[in-house]
Amino acid sequence: MIILNLIIRGLITGAIYSLTSMGIVLILSTTLVMNFAQGDMGMLLAYFAFYMLVRKISYPVVFVLIIIIGIILGFLLEKYLMNRARKTSHLGMVMITLGLTMIFEGIAGYSFGTMPLLFPKAISGEPLIISGIIIDKHDLFTFIVSILIVIILFIILYKTKIGIAARSLAEDEFGARILGIPINSIYLFIWMTAFSLAGVSGMLVAGRQTLEPHFMIVIQLKGFMAAVLGGMNSIVGAVLGGFLLGMIENLVSFYIPQIKDSFSLILIVLVLLFLPQGIFGKRETRRA
Amino acid sequence: MLKIEELFVSYGPVEAIHGISIEVKEREIVSILGSNGAGKSTILKTISGILKPKKGVISFENKVLNMLDPSQIVKMGITHIPEGRHVFPNLTIKENLILGGYFLKENEIKNQIDYVSNIFPILKERINSKAGTLSGGEQQMLVIARGLMSKPKLLLLDEPSLGLAPIAVSTIFKTLQKLNMEDSLSILLVEQNARKALQVSNRSYILVNGRVVLSGESSSLIENDEVKKLYLGR
Repeated sequence: MIILNLIIRGLITGAIYSLTSMGIVLILSTTLVMNFAQGDMGMLLAYFAFYMLVRKISYPVVFVLIIIIGIILGFLLEKYLMNRARKTSHLGMVMITLGLTMIFEGIAGYSFGTMPLLFPKAISGEPLIISGIIIDKHDLFTFIVSILIVIILFIILYKTKIGIAARSLAEDEFGARILGIPINSIYLFIWMTAFSLAGVSGMLVAGRQTLEPHFMIVIQLKGFMAAVLGGMNSIVGAVLGGFLLGMIENLVSFYIPQIKDSFSLILIVLVLLFLPQGIFGKRETRRA
Repeated sequence: MLKIEELFVSYGPVEAIHGISIEVKEREIVSILGSNGAGKSTILKTISGILKPKKGVISFENKVLNMLDPSQIVKMGITHIPEGRHVFPNLTIKENLILGGYFLKENEIKNQIDYVSNIFPILKERINSKAGTLSGGEQQMLVIARGLMSKPKLLLLDEPSLGLAPIAVSTIFKTLQKLNMEDSLSILLVEQNARKALQVSNRSYILVNGRVVLSGESSSLIENDEVKKLYLGR
């Protein structure tokens, strides 16, 4: 029973990692920019959510508003910052995302203080106990929402023109440009999507922990690791990598608590050494 | 329909095209010949808006293209099929085609997919397989089909024969001629395979170091002694 409990808790943590790693991989595979600000964007949005929640706006309304604010911030950042930096260098853009983390943490600390705040859960109350398996209601909500978002994202990426175009950018930007695909709108779409994902994961994580300016850094790191596990270039890999990481991590921290903190780092080193394509990374479908 | 007058193009401080004038008339196949680095691809990239001209005028159906971006130029009816194929290998053939018709409506895309897969039946058979699994010749067919999705009036074709088996080259050129005859598609063709290009085109321009050194009817150029010696290896 213990092992089942561990696995389920791991999957829930994994769902959160997946949301972040999807955001990271979405941007990385299409723009070659490692977005360090993915986690902290979620942190800032969680503070915005807190601001609204303490003013008695209901959780579902705030949830939707945060997604919308994430989309708007993604739009503004891409249009007025990233798009201009694109003409200079990729490294420049990566540095900008690092700078953004400091700005976001600064804004949060300055406006809300650095004291840990108690963030409301989506659903509070006693945990559910189903034949020996204990599930917190907020965790269940987290899991269901994450799965729904993964499904929605997949429909967008595989069934809509804009999603297919986003995937084509990941493969061959010149090829996409020459077909007349409006590259700038696709970039906008990608950053808007990634930052709305950030908002969702910010709110969900804040409900499991406490809200403070650094609370998403670990998630950012884990999201990055999940992305490495998944091969860095595949959205499917990012999702599966997230779930796998969450699960293994939870099992290891119970059975071998001594290496609890260093475990995921060891895992990353091993993966990069022996499976540089990631566990689920796609081999290039290209004939020689 | 396409008129290029006194075109100059530079890569940073290096000028690659030094005042070129080229014209493509309705229903014509025009080829640009020349060795590596003569500036052939640069001309096509400038027409399709990837590069911006430094000086000169490019006009299409009496509208100036100089400052338009690639998506506006595609919408006007010019499709550029670049050298080196540029298929999206991990996207399916269908997805590749959909992207070729990015500006079309949903039902138009369906019709165009039917239209291009009649031209290249091999694509219909493998519509849901990944483009990267196609052979070189099939990939070249796919990029041509993808280019045709946007209903172009003028096709800019960069080295369609590069790296292909002779039989695939023949198939592709036959198809292009058929499209030109039956669907009145105009084609501006860039080729290193000078013999093939002179055979299929109505007129040709010969480019050396960013300048046109010779131009005229392809049928007379193919008999020109200098062309024979330099480009046809006789």
